[in-house]
Amino acid sequence: MSNVNLKVQEAGVTDSIEERQTRETPASDKPAWETPKMEDVSREVMAQPYIRFT
Amino acid sequence: MGIQADAEPAPAPQLERRIDRLSAPLLVSWQLTRDCDLACLHCCTASAPGKRLTDELSADESMELAQALLGAQVPYVMLCGGEPLLVPHWLELAERLGMGGVQLKIETNGQRLDPRHLERLARLPIRSIQVSLDADTQETYGRQRPGGSLERAHAACRGVRDAGLPLEITFAPTRLNIHEAEAVIDRAVALGAFRFNSGSLMRIGTAARLWQKLEPSAEQYRQFRTLLERKAASPDTAGLELCYTPFSTTEALWESLREPPATLLVLPQGWVKAAGPLPHICADLRRHTLSQAWDRYRSAWRDPELMGAVRRAAELEALQEAANDWAPLSTFG
Repeated sequence: MSNVNLKVQEAGVTDSIEERQTRETPASDKPAWETPKMEDVSREVMAQPYIRFT
Repeated sequence: MGIQADAEPAPAPQLERRIDRLSAPLLVSWQLTRDCDLACLHCCTASAPGKRLTDELSADESMELAQALLGAQVPYVMLCGGEPLLVPHWLELAERLGMGGVQLKIETNGQRLDPRHLERLARLPIRSIQVSLDADTQETYGRQRPGGSLERAHAACRGVRDAGLPLEITFAPTRLNIHEAEAVIDRAVALGAFRFNSGSLMRIGTAARLWQKLEPSAEQYRQFRTLLERKAASPDTAGLELCYTPFSTTEALWESLREPPATLLVLPQGWVKAAGPLPHICADLRRHTLSQAWDRYRSAWRDPELMGAVRRAAELEALQEAANDWAPLSTFG
């Protein structure tokens, strides 16, 4: 990387999703994260003309 | 840019929104470049030859972002543009993502997709290679896609299927090409596509600039909708999913107010848009980590400034013409 500072917190990450959840959800008012699932994607794509139809 | 915040009713409780339950976006639509080898009249990103942004992400930055997407377990990434195949590292990027387990969609005009690309793509978890077919005759195709070759686009489609990859067709209706829609649907069937995407022309980018010339009439749209419904119900299109609802970006914006998309739209310089038809930027992946960008996106969809802009753009389509006049939300910081 030359003169830029792309911050990639997860670069090279090998920790588990559970570890990441622990890191990212310290506040008690946050829900337990759901991991994104591929089976939920199709409806997401179809619902957005901007991305399904470019 | 004069975007004002409306008085806003209380937002839905946080847990009711899907984006607040997800640790990362369901999908990332990543525009790799504004450069394109065609200058299509309907282009929503106003991409064209020589339109590459001076500050587009470098190859190294792109690879770092890819690694971040892998780390966040984003399941699906769409590589688009402009024409993504003009980006020298596009295939290496696809391989970094695909070999890491991300499923991929590549959106291309098909002018330069060749067997060497397809051989490498065939080793990856590709969900879709989407080729734009906006006409079924070279005369009409060339009017809407100046400089484009319909034969090359068809050859790309055949190559996709010959490589055993899933083919998706997209059709942007205009006054110039809408009379060929049925022929393109039939062509999609003949080419072995699994999906045909369409909807109303988006009043964004080059299409907005040429709106008076391109916008189909109400009667043309009525006939187009009838055609799509008839084709969707026809046994002749068995195996081809016709996708055209929500029909317009306006309809989609209304739906977004209820359930914001779990999608990050990444621009070529790494900025993250809050919504495709709007100009608001909520994060910069050169300044923010991916998880920070996702947090900022979720916050943006509670921001009265964005909520007001979404509602206004849903009520008045012409406001979507400003979608490419990118500007940060006030809370961008």
